[in-house]
Amino acid sequence: MLSALEHSIRKRASKWLFRLRGAETGEVFLNQRRVFIMPTHPGLIFCVMLFALFIASVNYNLSLGFGFTFLIAGCALVDMYLTFRNLAYLHLAAGRAKPVFAGEHAQFELHLINRRNYDRYAIWLDFAADDRPELAQAADVAAHASRSVVLATPAHARGWLPAPRVRLQTRFPLGLLRAWSYWQPDAQALVYPRPEDDAPPLPQAGVENGSGPAAAGQDDFAGIRGYQAGDSPRRLAWRHIAKIDIALGGPLVTKHFEGGTTTEIVIDLSALPHRLDLEVRLSRMTRWVIEAEARGLPYAFRLGDVNFPATLGPAHQDACLRALALFGKV
Amino acid sequence: MRPLSRDKADMLLLLFSCGLVLLLHVGHLPAWVFPSCAAILLWRGWITFRGNRMPPHWILLPVALLAMGGVFASYRTWFGRDAGVAMLALLLTLKLLEMHARRDLFVALFLSFFLILAGYFYSQSIGTALLTIVAVLAILTTQLSFQYTGTVPPLAQRLRLGAKILLLAAPLMLALFVLFPRIQGPLWGMPDDAQAGRSGLSDTMSPGNIARLALSDEIAFRVKFFDPVPAKSQLYWRGIVLGKYDGRTWSPPQAHQGGGQIVINTRGAPTRYQVTLEPHGRRWLFALDVPRALPILAGNPAVATPDLQLLSSQPISDRVRYDATSFVDFDLQPNAPPSVLPQWLELPPGFNPRTQALAAQLRSQADNNEEIIHAALRLFREQGFRYTLEPPPLGRHAVDEFLFSTRAGFCEHYSGAFVVLMRASGIPARVVTGYQGGEINPADGFLTVRQSDAHAWAEVWLDRRGWVRVDPTAAVSPDRVERNLASVIPRRAFGGLITLDGSRSAWIARLRQNWEAVTNAWNQWVLNYTPEKQRNFFRALGFDKVDWRTMAIVMLAVGAAVMAAILLPLLAGRPKRDPIDATYQSLCRRMAKLGYPRAPHEGPRAYGARLSAHDSPLPTATKAAIGRFLALYETVRYGAPEKAPLSYLSQLKTLLAECR
Repeated sequence: MLSALEHSIRKRASKWLFRLRGAETGEVFLNQRRVFIMPTHPGLIFCVMLFALFIASVNYNLSLGFGFTFLIAGCALVDMYLTFRNLAYLHLAAGRAKPVFAGEHAQFELHLINRRNYDRYAIWLDFAADDRPELAQAADVAAHASRSVVLATPAHARGWLPAPRVRLQTRFPLGLLRAWSYWQPDAQALVYPRPEDDAPPLPQAGVENGSGPAAAGQDDFAGIRGYQAGDSPRRLAWRHIAKIDIALGGPLVTKHFEGGTTTEIVIDLSALPHRLDLEVRLSRMTRWVIEAEARGLPYAFRLGDVNFPATLGPAHQDACLRALALFGKV
Repeated sequence: MRPLSRDKADMLLLLFSCGLVLLLHVGHLPAWVFPSCAAILLWRGWITFRGNRMPPHWILLPVALLAMGGVFASYRTWFGRDAGVAMLALLLTLKLLEMHARRDLFVALFLSFFLILAGYFYSQSIGTALLTIVAVLAILTTQLSFQYTGTVPPLAQRLRLGAKILLLAAPLMLALFVLFPRIQGPLWGMPDDAQAGRSGLSDTMSPGNIARLALSDEIAFRVKFFDPVPAKSQLYWRGIVLGKYDGRTWSPPQAHQGGGQIVINTRGAPTRYQVTLEPHGRRWLFALDVPRALPILAGNPAVATPDLQLLSSQPISDRVRYDATSFVDFDLQPNAPPSVLPQWLELPPGFNPRTQALAAQLRSQADNNEEIIHAALRLFREQGFRYTLEPPPLGRHAVDEFLFSTRAGFCEHYSGAFVVLMRASGIPARVVTGYQGGEINPADGFLTVRQSDAHAWAEVWLDRRGWVRVDPTAAVSPDRVERNLASVIPRRAFGGLITLDGSRSAWIARLRQNWEAVTNAWNQWVLNYTPEKQRNFFRALGFDKVDWRTMAIVMLAVGAAVMAAILLPLLAGRPKRDPIDATYQSLCRRMAKLGYPRAPHEGPRAYGARLSAHDSPLPTATKAAIGRFLALYETVRYGAPEKAPLSYLSQLKTLLAECR
């Protein structure tokens, strides 16, 4: 309990000290009040060394020793300014974040824009909460140029995943000081439900109207799909296969036929057993959407208020997955 | 040839920096240390260049032990300054052989900084300072080269960044150097070897020691005169008084017996001057003849002995400066009590019988002491005596041999023989060593006194006149006193290839004078910036009572000013806000205050439309003003600029004032 209290105090303190705030829309400018600076370990040792040099100069009355000590002290002060300047006055903007499936890593694209006429080097970015320095990304931003960096964070749950707080740090040029700043980018990645691993086969041929399972129709040529064990060799789409060289690793494809409406695939939440957990059902539907798309089978999609007629294509897939990701979420 | 990989290039740069730092120590490390360090550096460079593995510990450990043993063999100790510096140099190079992490880089760099400072134990010349700057630049460039993560700019650009850091640090250094409260050292005892290797007068005089000094071009002290410079023949810088003679060596009188009161009658105007004395590791101070008061040295009070030597309490281990005022026309102890005189008559028995006889002869022929003195000087002048730096060696009866057979010698021979002759004839006499003359440097007007100006002369005590200076050397070689030693005995440089003779190579002399003036300025302003000088500086700034608080305040103020002077031009690159946008921003702020903030997505037109809509409760006049303001703003900002009236900015401001 005490540690919880301490944690909360620390959190509040750092929130106050580092002016942590919510996501900022648009382009963010790192003004001087947002950049903090502290000596690094070598920097602290450098201070001790300066003191030792000073004492030696006093003891031996070395005038040149004073000059030298003050010169390198001056260099450290200049380093402080340059380190600060290397990070401050940088413009930041959040870029796109592609949707991912839960369990994968969400990739956030971040833009660093340098509107000053000096180059910036060795700016390290990572997610503040990560605390894994090996994941940090280093970036150089030339004068009047911009640079984008992609930071990854694991996506655990479906829905919108806001970008975690980003920490920017630099020790350039002399490594004696570390300047850092925090930034909450206004970016979020859409996380689709995790596709179920061993999902049952696609709900084909009107599972919903209880007319029993039936093979996909054989009447109308409806497209092609990847070869699956058990497909009749007569059904192989030779004309397609001829276009892609198997020797080069091209896949076998099978012609796919559809018979009337009874063979239509409908991916419907309400058709799934209610005893299953909602997340499992969504996860299964996700797998089906992916599989139907991969096999080129048009599918209808029903999820709560959402009701998409059967079709195929990336737009349809994205709409379905989006509905799955956001189902029940505000 | 393929370009080196980045790691290799960085490492070679580090090795180069360390080499530069070690260069500061070439002069004084034992003969084997510098080659060893160089060899280790080359070894490390080879490893880096070829991409070989670093030597394992079982190789490094014996090498390190060998180095430590070598240091002990050279110094018979591991402690003390010189041994410490040698250890530090070896440590730095060995550290480079086992560098693994970035932490080790800083260890190497910090060791280099210590080594640079240690270099100042041995030399603080302008050359050292320049080498330091080059070394610091190299270190900074190395340090920053290691910091790049992605693109690494070419070496020239990194050097420029290093130079920029150094240049920006320079004003800070100057401010701190002048203003940082100085503490007079030492804080603890100086190691014994701190004074080794100083040249200068010794506290004894035997044939040959001053002649050896005469070959040294080193500067003994410099003098700045506030009054007209006295004639060269009056520039006798009195140093050590020698009264005890053992037949060969002159040494100071053992104890100053019953000195009592020293009576000095002075005549004429005094001469005021300031002496900057090079460290010589002894206690004596130099002044013209009779100083009016004791020189004041911070933390090192001076005393005067009855025979008028000036001594400091502590050996002069640093360059010191003191003001003095001297009389060159005076009577010293005209009525000395008889009890103090016998000690200036002592001679070792059994030496120089012919000189004793000569003295008895002079005494019998003369009416008074003055006549004896003149007879002796006439002897030197007329009996074919030569002035030379390379006199023939003398045996047991040195004075006899000098006076009657060799008749060739240097000032120490003349003064010594003269004093022996005087004492043998019953006149109290003593040898005084010091410096005679000096050279005015036309470049800065300072009188430079070198070791080669070292001189010895005699003083005899005459009734009612006191101690009178007699320079027997002047009787033989008047030029020695009137002009400079340099003109009497040509000075040679570069093993005699070039004769530094003023008349023949005037430009060399001028070059030399200018260089010495620069060195002197360096000494005066950089090396001799003592707490006292700092106080004077503050006084000149108008701070009468200077304590550390004043200093700290002034230092902070000046430091802030210097920082501002550096940073403002760098900050000036910030974009200025467009005045038109500023008026628009203030309109938005004003409306926000009234309760109609602009939504982030709203452009001026949409915002204006919302503000002047029918249901908006703003007064009609305000709505109209807003409308005209935004129309003008749009024209200027987004429309055709040529359509905008010339006075659009003032119009905007007027309209802005109406929007309330």
